[in-house]
Amino acid sequence: MTAMFRAVLSSQWKWSRLIVVFGTVAAFAIPLLSLQGAARADRGALQPQELLRAVQSWGTAYPLLATALGLLMAITAWAPDHRGRHIHALTLPLERWRYVLLRFGAGFALLAAPIAAVVIGSSLAALTATLPPGLQAYPIALAVRFALAVFVAYAVFFAVSAGTARTAGIILGIIAALILVQIVATIANLDVNLLSTAQTVLLLGPGPLAVFTGRWMLVDV
Amino acid sequence: MSDAIHLERLHYRAGKNFEIPNLDLHVPSGSIYGFLGPNGSGKTTTIRLILGLLRPLSGRITVLGLSMPGQHAHVLGRVGYVPEQPHLDASLTVRELIDFQAAFYPRWDRTRAEELRQRFELDREHLFGRLSKGQKAKLMILLALAQRGDLLVLDEPTDGLDPVVRRDILSALITYVSERDATIFISSHLVHELERVCDWVAVMDDGRLITEAPMEKLKHGTKRLVVIGAPAEIVNPPFRVLTRESANGGGGENWVVGDWEPGMTSYFEGVGASVRDVIDLDLEDGFVELLRSFRGRTRR
Repeated sequence: MTAMFRAVLSSQWKWSRLIVVFGTVAAFAIPLLSLQGAARADRGALQPQELLRAVQSWGTAYPLLATALGLLMAITAWAPDHRGRHIHALTLPLERWRYVLLRFGAGFALLAAPIAAVVIGSSLAALTATLPPGLQAYPIALAVRFALAVFVAYAVFFAVSAGTARTAGIILGIIAALILVQIVATIANLDVNLLSTAQTVLLLGPGPLAVFTGRWMLVDV
Repeated sequence: MSDAIHLERLHYRAGKNFEIPNLDLHVPSGSIYGFLGPNGSGKTTTIRLILGLLRPLSGRITVLGLSMPGQHAHVLGRVGYVPEQPHLDASLTVRELIDFQAAFYPRWDRTRAEELRQRFELDREHLFGRLSKGQKAKLMILLALAQRGDLLVLDEPTDGLDPVVRRDILSALITYVSERDATIFISSHLVHELERVCDWVAVMDDGRLITEAPMEKLKHGTKRLVVIGAPAEIVNPPFRVLTRESANGGGGENWVVGDWEPGMTSYFEGVGASVRDVIDLDLEDGFVELLRSFRGRTRR
């Protein structure tokens, strides 16, 4: 199984190395950039409010990066198999769920690099910055949250991208049906708010996508 | 002799236009089994059913004594497969593809793989997508042979290749069989090619098996007869009448028969007819006559 994983990892690396490299550089740079106003040689440190605003505005970059990494890695994990109509994968001598697990594991193993880059970048930023009194840096919490977001994004897109066009059609059909029902309910003056309910279920805790919402703060009170 | 592949009352349907209604097939172990049929006859579908890539509606598939698709992981570890279209990723090199494949097959033969790579003159660092059609076919054969499987399933492996590459591939296959006593199941519509290498042959058309027989029996048992004075209806002939039509110019009829044996001319004397000539048919002629006969019957 180890040899199989190495083989899958190696092919996955070849397909997604640019994504991994750019993602890792971005993941390392974002925490450093977000704290660049904390203290500079040419002028004094930012006031706490200003610094928090700057950190918060950079905070949106983390979930966006996590989503992009998850999406691109999931696409590259399946694209060659889709092109070959899955014949190669299906004729390999192992159970299909094992192959899916190998592909999933290989992709997530490669995503460890940008996650590690967030750990290193945010720790470095926190160590080198002079924070105003009353503010604290949370590099590990931020990195754990980023790791979770990457995992969720990758898992969701991996599942969607592993499916057939029919599966994608079913998912789009369900979304379209929700929108249609909502429009009909609004026209009929019914007190139904499906979209808002779906949003609440998905995005608010303990919804599966809740990790992407809220404030992503490397520095906070 | 046990069967390497055994299909029993296999039923499969793909949409409204194609169906394999009731297929029985027996591929003896150690044979080189040619699976003939025109394009669209169901050869590739049958192969995909054998390998568990498709699921039948009913019937039983046994490969190397194991049930498919239930035990596909065990079976596929002993089966080398070359599909009709190369399906490997174009961005991987020859070396990467060999290494990838080696990781999945416990019986992978690195020495054989290297030997075949050199024999086929495949550059280790060439991308699969940049290989010529012949080189791709050679690589696919290399990957199938280095697995040291007990069964090779080859779907039109030499289709569209030049004669030199075809010869290289067929020679590698024959060497493999002679060394390992493996079974080869090879589909093709290139009849002459199979005639040279196969010892069993099956012919398929429109999802149905027309015939399945040892090559020698099919080749020597299919004849064109020139028959004089045959009655319109004949009863219980000891051979199969594939086609029967009036001869051009002059009396008599041309018959194409299967399962023919030399002493059978006496049957015609018994029904008041005579055989003026018995003409040997090669496999291609026999194949064409079998198809004509089958299509004539199904049209009726």
